[in-house]
Amino acid sequence: MNEIAKPAQRSRAAKWSRRGFIGAGVLAGGTLLIGVAVRPGNPVGKLGSLVAGGQGEQLINSWLKIDADNIVTAIVPHCEMGQGAHSVLAQMLADELDADWSLVRVMQAPADGSYVVTDTIRGFVAQGTLGAPDWLEPTWNGLFTRIGRLADGMITGGSSSVRTTGQHTMRIAGAAARQMLVGAAARAWGVPAAEITTAGSVLSHKASGRSAPYARFAAAAAEEDMPQTPALKAPGDYRLMGTDAPRTDIPAKVNGTASFGIDAVVTGQTMTYAAVRRAPVPGTRVAKMDASAAKAMPGVLQILNMGDFLAVVADSYWQAQQALNAITAEYTAPESSIRSSQDQFARFSAALDEAGEAGGKEVIALGDAKGAMAGAARKISADYQVPYLAHAPLEPMNATVWVRDGKCEIWTSTQVPLMARSAAAKALDISADDVTMHHPLLGGGFGRRLEVDYVIMAARIGQATGYPVKMIWSREEDTQKGLFRCADMSRFTGGLDARGRLVAYNNVFTQRNDPADACDCAFYDIPNKSIRVAEAELHLPFAAFRSVDHSQQAFFIESFIDEAAQAAGRDPLEFRLAMLGQSPRHKAVLEKAAAMAGWSTRPAAGRGRGIALTESFGTIVAEVVEVDMSSGKPRATNVWCAADPGFAMNPDGFRNQMEGGIVFGLTAALYGEISLRDGAVEQGNFHDYKLLRMDECPAIAVEIINGKHEKLGGAGEPGLPPVAPALANAIFAATAKRIRALPISKHFA
Amino acid sequence: MMKLTINGKVTAVDVDPAMPILWVVREKLGLTGTKFGCGMALCGACTVHLDGRPVRSCSTPIAEAEGKAITTIEGVAGPEGELSKVQQAWISEQVPQCGYCQSGQIMAATALLRDNPSPSDADIDAAMAGNLCRCGTYVRIRRAIKVAAGLEPAKGAPQTGSAQA
Amino acid sequence: MQPTAAFAMTGLALLLSACGSRAEAPVEQIVVRQPGAVAASAPVGAPDAGDPVAAGKVAFAACAACHSAAPGAASGIGPNLHGVVGRAAGSAPGFSYSPAISKSGITWTERELDTFLANPAAKVPGTSMAAGQVTDAPRRAAIIAYLASLKD
Repeated sequence: MNEIAKPAQRSRAAKWSRRGFIGAGVLAGGTLLIGVAVRPGNPVGKLGSLVAGGQGEQLINSWLKIDADNIVTAIVPHCEMGQGAHSVLAQMLADELDADWSLVRVMQAPADGSYVVTDTIRGFVAQGTLGAPDWLEPTWNGLFTRIGRLADGMITGGSSSVRTTGQHTMRIAGAAARQMLVGAAARAWGVPAAEITTAGSVLSHKASGRSAPYARFAAAAAEEDMPQTPALKAPGDYRLMGTDAPRTDIPAKVNGTASFGIDAVVTGQTMTYAAVRRAPVPGTRVAKMDASAAKAMPGVLQILNMGDFLAVVADSYWQAQQALNAITAEYTAPESSIRSSQDQFARFSAALDEAGEAGGKEVIALGDAKGAMAGAARKISADYQVPYLAHAPLEPMNATVWVRDGKCEIWTSTQVPLMARSAAAKALDISADDVTMHHPLLGGGFGRRLEVDYVIMAARIGQATGYPVKMIWSREEDTQKGLFRCADMSRFTGGLDARGRLVAYNNVFTQRNDPADACDCAFYDIPNKSIRVAEAELHLPFAAFRSVDHSQQAFFIESFIDEAAQAAGRDPLEFRLAMLGQSPRHKAVLEKAAAMAGWSTRPAAGRGRGIALTESFGTIVAEVVEVDMSSGKPRATNVWCAADPGFAMNPDGFRNQMEGGIVFGLTAALYGEISLRDGAVEQGNFHDYKLLRMDECPAIAVEIINGKHEKLGGAGEPGLPPVAPALANAIFAATAKRIRALPISKHFA
Repeated sequence: MMKLTINGKVTAVDVDPAMPILWVVREKLGLTGTKFGCGMALCGACTVHLDGRPVRSCSTPIAEAEGKAITTIEGVAGPEGELSKVQQAWISEQVPQCGYCQSGQIMAATALLRDNPSPSDADIDAAMAGNLCRCGTYVRIRRAIKVAAGLEPAKGAPQTGSAQA
Repeated sequence: MQPTAAFAMTGLALLLSACGSRAEAPVEQIVVRQPGAVAASAPVGAPDAGDPVAAGKVAFAACAACHSAAPGAASGIGPNLHGVVGRAAGSAPGFSYSPAISKSGITWTERELDTFLANPAAKVPGTSMAAGQVTDAPRRAAIIAYLASLKD
């Protein structure tokens, strides 16, 4: 069950603490290696060789190295997809270690089971269970370790890296290393450890005037006892945490040297390239292929009918795509009767009708919603809907594979390297141990790269060719044939009492994925609630989209709250504040955003302001959008954002994520729509699947409230949810036109 | 064989003259800093310079580049790797997130500032509207262009965050 | 304040659902040649210098990302260009032109096309033809010769 630590032994090999399972060792050249192991007794040879670049030393799972040049390398198990996780996790480790930031490097942890991110799994699986009694903690830890391994849970998602791996792993590793370095120096200098100070990767003893870089004691530190529970810094002692330490990944991203999955090259091999075309409707297959013209085209090496997709392998990707375009094919008939977007929404509507006032599956029941509704002085109702969305990361899906001799090597951008490894192994019918993953930087993830469909396709092509091949999806393929944010419909009825308070809240919608509480607004003091889900079939396959269910639920909920305010004849800000009596942090965030926007002043003629408040992934965010309607079409001119993530480990990085979430959310609100015709996706490229451009981007101001240091929220996703409702509410303020269906641009065509 | 000048170096490639510049530089010359995003000149990730002018390399045949100077992101820094003003501003303003579009953004911004050393917001919007950023770094790109132009001071980093209680 | 929601076991479902499909061999595999091996035919795409229409057809590949040229083919990002030489700007049926093109009053003679392709945004400010500038004069001439050959 749970892994209880063995008594500490003094040896070069691993020693374990009860909570952190920390071990240490020395790599070739005197490099100190600190690991926080998932379980004691990990085989050390393989992993040591992975992190030591083949020098093959003893240790286990490892999170930091200190080499002879005093360079600290943080080994980060999460992927870098733009959210800044690599850098900020290193920053947290470096702070506890008192390292000089300019001497810190980041290494992507290899795809190995030892790097499952147990705390992230715990966050995904057990939302709401934190705060379990202490005696349960070891059981939880053991459970989540097992779940993590079972599910190949080396994942990056859920805006979780800082608050899980950062807080519970990287800081502990840094603090433990610091303590061991101090111990080694104290022994060598013959002074009490308590008299030694650390700063800037240097150990100092003031009384004797001695000082030394960490590197000098790196090897000796490995001989020190592992601290059982290394003391972590209190916020007042932070030196790097809470500062705008510059990101380590940025220099390579301005000179073309940053390497993404699509940039993979198989050294020493002739590269070949594959273009692919899946059957157009989900679930359909290739019935007939005519490749007679394609065969004769320049550069073509192979043409494959894989059953569910076509592939052309050629000397160049461009030649492969040209030849693929020349292939004509017929496909099997779709099984689903959903042919158009209208069909899809009709399914939703029917499910909601059938569920009625009390049907469907109950998600939240609070007080007596039915009774309160019956006694309400005034009732309101509204239906909202959102379309399917494509993630559209700018790096299209791609993977490079080399399948040979029962083994497979893969280079790809992924949020789930271990799942990708297992999926490829399964598709090739080989062991996961025979699959080597390389997972460099991601050119955007947004949840799309939590899926491994494209890795499986590449593996199958690679198996057919037997030589290295880089599969790249065209933008059209990426827009049409992947997985999608679900379309959804949500129906509300609300009851106001005689004083205009929202006392009854009845909501039913059709799609529920993650997070579990995304459909609620628990911070508002609404005494009687019934929230239910009436499930309805989706035509297109689902993938988590940035902020997942919050991406649609925030639009539904905060639009409805605005309608309730209007029905009550109250200012939207005042109406919300009146419901936040028990949620002081939410109240502070909402007031801050309103103050930033100058809510109490009148906007210029033709303009309106809208406000929305959400909590997602542990971070409370309020946004005010100002919209200019003077041209007849909405143009967002300003977004003011106040956010309380508990504590922002890197405020500038946090702001960058809020800005990005806002732009992503504006794209979805204004333009985002994947629609269906004959069962297939209609959109293809950025001319008909529009993204917000520079000339449409509003001025964005972000302020951070560090409201609760001990409970951190995420950064990657929470900026997105409030922006769509705030924009729709702003349009209402400017025009009295209520937007109940996204995208907004369709209402002003 | 086609003679090309790329980042100041003369090279020869044997490719179909209709092949877009993008795939020649990425696959034949190993310069992978230039990115594929859409294949239709809609996103700007593939932007390179031909004789100093920004072009969408995914839709410009390599034959178009014969006799001209191609500059890719790898050729923006000086011979010793010293970063251009635009690149420096991209770092000081901490612009990139995923970074995939940023080569194209930097090429577009570099061309803008060469033609217009003191661009207005409207000039920046017009010049940069062809370059998509899915991560949403537009606000920072705008500021970094002004910093590179000397119109605004560099933020400089590291800074201490304004932590409120 | 306290929701009655149970634990989000959907998270686990998400983690466990990402399993691979079973191994599936190709239904059809056409091997043309091995990588690195020289193509049997002469390199395609090296046009006869004396035939501008053929050269133009090759050069048109870049335009074909947005423009169809076959008679009656649907317009794409850009309008169908079959018969473009001699027709009025903004007149391909069913294509939604920018106001700039619609109001330009241009008739696409070979000469007008030449100046347009040399610098589309300068010739028709406001055109949505983002790509397509052809600065090389002989290349431009070849593309226009090819376009002129596309007649019913």
